Formats: sequence, structure tokens, C-alpha cells
Amino acid sequence: MPYYAKSEDWLHQSSLLLQARPSTTRITTRYHLKPARRTPKPNNNNKKSEDPTQAAPPPPPPPPPQQDGGETKPPRGHLVLKTYDPASGVTLKYKTSKAAEVTRLVQMLGTLGRRMAGVAVAEGEGEEGQGGEGMVGVVEGGEVGGGGSGSGVQTPVGGGGGGGKELPLLQQQQQGGGGGKGKKKKGKR
Amino acid sequence: MSRLTHDEFFTKLADIFNSRKAKAHGAVLLTQKRLTFDQTTTPPPDSTDPLADLLHPTQPLPLLIRATNGKGKADRAAKVKLATVVQPDELAGFYARYAEVCKAGMAALKPRDRTKRKAKAKKRKGGPVLA
Repeated sequence: MPYYAKSEDWLHQSSLLLQARPSTTRITTRYHLKPARRTPKPNNNNKKSEDPTQAAPPPPPPPPPQQDGGETKPPRGHLVLKTYDPASGVTLKYKTSKAAEVTRLVQMLGTLGRRMAGVAVAEGEGEEGQGGEGMVGVVEGGEVGGGGSGSGVQTPVGGGGGGGKELPLLQQQQQGGGGGKGKKKKGKR
Repeated sequence: MSRLTHDEFFTKLADIFNSRKAKAHGAVLLTQKRLTFDQTTTPPPDSTDPLADLLHPTQPLPLLIRATNGKGKADRAAKVKLATVVQPDELAGFYARYAEVCKAGMAALKPRDRTKRKAKAKKRKGGPVLA
């Protein structure tokens, strides 16, 4: 019953499980609230701050609880995604408490949902497929470059080659961008 | 448990989330699985392919989405159960709305914390100059 550290890993493993057992696997999302674990520290700080002001000693005690009530952290929510297949007993889990991830996680649920429904195209597959096509395109382009004779054939295959080359170019650009950032930082130093 | 339309499902799901906010504890459970019950589109399993009905549906199957407010047997009266069916062609639209409702409902999650990053950035800027 592993918890994955990365949601991507969870998505990958879950999609594999769904591939193997699309009919029995279910995905449960559990959102639960807990009272904040850290109770606000006893009123030492408040008292210290209030003592110099010399407010009447008996009245302050009632306010601190109210203040604490205001200061107490709101209950902390947690989100646990669980992929479970009762037939094989496989359980895959991912846990987070970050609000920023919710949208992405629901998108992942959607991706897995498409796989679950048996709709052909899933995003992960699409990416992999594009990568594969790109590779094939490059190979074809190389072959055509080596042969380089057929006039009617050149246009479509050349397009394929171009399509294949675009991906590596993009990747290079992205990598170059990353490198550029690093260099800029170095330059500032 | 009758199945709801998407609109009813989302409004009631939002209600569940809101009741959690008010109570400050408790859970919301969302489940999704393939709807295989009472479907006629699956090919019957035979000796050559015993899992045909499970692995190779002839058509995309609908999804069953369930939601509860996490109450168990002890609190059966307070339990809220929702269920809806999403047809394959409605998946994209459904999940877009689903994400919105979840994002709005899961307000107790940690908001993005920008203070640390700013501090780090300052450190980075300041560090090399000192060195």
C-alpha cells in the first residue's frame, strides 16, 4: 500500500493498473479535515505583551481565548487519492495537502477516467505516441535524405520528417532556455 | 440509490463540501469506476478470451461517479450518498466542472506559500554578492 511521493508516479502506476484491470479498478478521492494539530501556544506571549500595557489582570483572561479562537489555524485539509483493485488487491496512494495541486489532480482523474471508460486516447498515451511518431519521423527523414530521389513521395514523407524534427527542436529550445537561465544567473554573479 | 443528473450531482456535492467547512472536521469521499453493471455492450467471455468482457469492451463504457460525506454505519442517518453516470462523450465537460467544484470545496488545503520562495530568492541574490 505505497504512498507515492510524486503525483506523476501515482498517475503512471494507476494507469498501468487500469490497463491491466479496467473493469474492477476504482479510484477513491478522500478529502478530510482535521482540527489543526498545533494548538496555539498558551497565552504566554499574549500575557507578556499585555503585562507591559498593564491592563487589568482579571479582564485579560477572557479575551485571550477569544483571540486564540481568532488566531487558531483553520482546520487543515488533506487529500488522498487511492487507486484500488479489489480483484488483485493492489492499492496505490497519493497524499497531498496543497491546494495548488487540486486542479491538476482532478485532471489526472479525468485522464484515468478516460482510460477507465475505454476511450481510446489518453493524454499520457498521446504524449508517448507523439514521441514515438517523432522518432519514426526522424528515421524516415534520414532514410529519405539518404535516398533523396522520389519527387512524388518526398512531400508527404518530408512533412513527416519535418514533424519529427520539430519535437527534438522544441526540446532543444526548452533545454536551451533552461541553460540560458542558468547562465544568466551566473552572469549576474 | 438513484442516480442524479450532473447538475444535481454538482450542487449536492458543493453542499457536502460546504457542510464540511462549517463543521471543521470530517471527510468527503469521491469514487469513480467503470459502470459495468447492466451493460449489454460487452462481448461475452469465451474459452479463447476469458476476460473479453473485462478488457475489450466493444464501445467505451460510462463511468460511475459516487460521492459520500464519509459517514459510516454508526451514523447512517446522517449519511449522504450521491451517484451519477458520465457517458464517455461527456467526460471532458464533466471533469472540468468536477475540478471547479473540488477546487472550490477543498478550501482547507494549504494555499500556495510564496513567502519562503521570496526569502530564498533574496538569499540567492544576496549570497553571491557577499561571496
